[in-house]
Amino acid sequence: MVKRIGLALMAALMGLAGTGSMAADQEELVVYSGRSDSFVKPVAEAFTKRSGIQVILHNASSTELLNKLRVEDERTQADLYLSNDAGNLQLGSELGLFQPLPDASAKLVDARWRAPDNTWLGLSARARVLVMNTKVKDLKFVKSVFDLADPRLKGRLGITNSANESFVAGATVYMLAAGKEKTRDWLQGLKNNVGKTVFDKHGKIVSAVAEGKLDVGLVNHYYIYRHLDEQPNAPIRILLPDQGEQGMGVAWNVAGVAVSKHTRKKDAAEKFVAFLVSEEGQKIFAEVNEEYPTRAGVPAAARLPAPASVKVANVPLSKLGPERDATLDLIDAVGMP
Amino acid sequence: MIKSKFGPLGTVAGMVVLTAAIPLLFVIYSSGQLSAEKWAGLWSSRLPMLLGNTLYLATLVSIGSLVLGISSAWLIARREFTGRGLALWLMVLPLTIPTYVFAHIYTSLFEEQGWLGRVWRALFGEAIAIPDLYNVFGAAWILSLASFSYVFLLAHAALIHSNRALEEAARIQGATPLQVFWRVTLPLLRPALAAGLAVVVLHVLSDFGAVSMLRYQTFTLSIYLQMSGRFDYQGAAGLSLVLVMLSLTFLAMERFFRTRQRYYAGAQGAIIKPKRAQPWEQVWIWLWLGSVLLFAFALPLWWMLELSWTAWQNGALGERFWGYVFNSLLVAFCAASAAMLVALPIGLFHVRRPTWLSGGFMNLSSVGFVLPGPVIALGIITFMLAALPVLYGGLAALVAALVVRFLPLAVQAEEAAMQQLTPSVEQAGRVHGAGPLENLWRVTLPMIRGGLVVAWVLVFIDVLKELPATLILRPIGFDTLPVRIWIEASEEMLELAAPAALMLVVASLPALWILMRGKKGR
Repeated sequence: MVKRIGLALMAALMGLAGTGSMAADQEELVVYSGRSDSFVKPVAEAFTKRSGIQVILHNASSTELLNKLRVEDERTQADLYLSNDAGNLQLGSELGLFQPLPDASAKLVDARWRAPDNTWLGLSARARVLVMNTKVKDLKFVKSVFDLADPRLKGRLGITNSANESFVAGATVYMLAAGKEKTRDWLQGLKNNVGKTVFDKHGKIVSAVAEGKLDVGLVNHYYIYRHLDEQPNAPIRILLPDQGEQGMGVAWNVAGVAVSKHTRKKDAAEKFVAFLVSEEGQKIFAEVNEEYPTRAGVPAAARLPAPASVKVANVPLSKLGPERDATLDLIDAVGMP
Repeated sequence: MIKSKFGPLGTVAGMVVLTAAIPLLFVIYSSGQLSAEKWAGLWSSRLPMLLGNTLYLATLVSIGSLVLGISSAWLIARREFTGRGLALWLMVLPLTIPTYVFAHIYTSLFEEQGWLGRVWRALFGEAIAIPDLYNVFGAAWILSLASFSYVFLLAHAALIHSNRALEEAARIQGATPLQVFWRVTLPLLRPALAAGLAVVVLHVLSDFGAVSMLRYQTFTLSIYLQMSGRFDYQGAAGLSLVLVMLSLTFLAMERFFRTRQRYYAGAQGAIIKPKRAQPWEQVWIWLWLGSVLLFAFALPLWWMLELSWTAWQNGALGERFWGYVFNSLLVAFCAASAAMLVALPIGLFHVRRPTWLSGGFMNLSSVGFVLPGPVIALGIITFMLAALPVLYGGLAALVAALVVRFLPLAVQAEEAAMQQLTPSVEQAGRVHGAGPLENLWRVTLPMIRGGLVVAWVLVFIDVLKELPATLILRPIGFDTLPVRIWIEASEEMLELAAPAALMLVVASLPALWILMRGKKGR
């Protein structure tokens, strides 16, 4: 009997393998998505309603999917790649995994939010900001992310662990804007201030600041609003660091999309991208996570600091990819937890 | 009946082993491209720390699993108390919870507002800080709870079958019960403990879930970061190669140890009924077993139930959820059946013709267990794309990788059963005119049925929980329960991860029942 089951299984496997490679017919797009399922689904569903084209989200971590794309090369089933991190998108471009997007879509996105060669487009932007407890008085001196290394904040600061994508991307921006030396000292200072207690999630940092266990934290802006949605009276506020004449500016990052070089459904994939940068698509994509739309003219949620008033660090997003290894080396050298 | 050294059996075994070794070949090939300079860089920056961390963790988990496993096995095997049959069952249930789920649960339980955090505060006030799990002790705690059942199972079986006459002789000679345990019972258990520890240590070396959650730098985590954080395959392959050598050394030691110890397992003695426990003893027994179970199963289960209840009420468990359950069961069923089948020739070849070659096959087939999941997945992808592109992207690639990964479990279980094959019975079959295949079918397989079942169940349970390789290799849009747990948990939506974790437990139960069925007796 075992043998018969074995044969049946073999047959089943061959069959399934066949369907696996054929499942991708004309009306389906496969998206390798490193962005949270629940943030992508709304816009994908809206697109399906419009166009009748199904969108299959294949979730895993951004870096893993990029690896997969690279190994699969021309045999990939992915039509598009979505990531929460410009660094990954740029790496993919440099590995030649993507194809340039049509001008009609690309030009809608502000030039600083897309690849120089238009192989990827930013869809929503987020800022690295500070969350402050409003009840604490002696935090006037904190104006820059570099002030977080001040020994006065010992035991009062919350950061994520150094493997976090956003932390690494932020540190890369600081390194490029302020230099390696300064960034290494900064990391060392952070390490001294937090000891071994780092957080695995940004949300937990905001909660800890709201509960008064910590006074200040380094997070992406939307985590603050997410917390305020649940507890409108929480004693927290946002602080945009490094503003003013002398300031380096805030570090930004984007979630963005690229079309696989080897897609066999170029038209449909470009249609999806066009929808993502349309006013409707932009609104849905940014709104689910309280981020800034990257298309000029589409307003962000009213309570976010107006984008025009924010000074942004003068580091092109396309640098986030190639310089990441250098940042990781710094992090390793300091021994960040 | 002299045949060539190889024979058809050896050929088939060789083919299976060669397939299983593909990821290893991939690793050797990639690390071969690593320059001497980079090796030196790895050595000076990483390796000593990783070796230290990994060995430290493995030692702590071994101690933890031995303490938990032996104590509960001894109590259940040697004392008659109310609810003994139930206790036997309960002790294997922690096997149904993946390490990453354990890690999620315990980190949230030990938060300031978590159940354990609050209990801690109530007991110790602000004076003593709530234990921090993000270190070697946290990782060891979680891995011990998740894997002590392997030691328990093997120790329990050995205690039931071991010869009591020796223990009684020692008692008559005036040894105290403690001395008897230390100097007679424990040494007799050595082969079983070595086998149990081997499984535990291999799980520790290849664990990805708990160490990545707790950010404790072991080989597996470092390899993963090297590969996906820095896109440095060669570095990752170099580290993998060191890990493989470490594991193979350990396996060779274990095998050596076990063959030397087989001598002790000696003749079958009379099996004596376990001693009836006094009422006060029963209280103590249940206090101990109860606290082990509280941490290893009851608390996690309660956590899953509570969050699943919330999810259920919010209507989060739709049709899609049952689809994930089905996908998980399908993959686990296919992989377990395939692993059970392909392990046969390797085991048979080793038992029939124990040579250096068959021993080498045995060792090579265990490679899957010591390579990290993502590395296996990448090896399989590369191979499939080059050699069998038709199969790529389907379920077959995933199943193949999982079979490679868990083949050693099947091989070990089947080989153990085959060791008890009596050659004369098989020869009798041949004398009566059965061909080799008919003989295999009608004589050999029925005699090792127990081993086959164990092999199937062990692989099934591990595949059900597997995350890293599945994440990379699953067909497009094909989500399994562990994949969903990963997705929901990385979105900080633990209440959606809980039902999936709960379903893993439920889905493993029938398999465990098959495994434990035979143990009810005595």
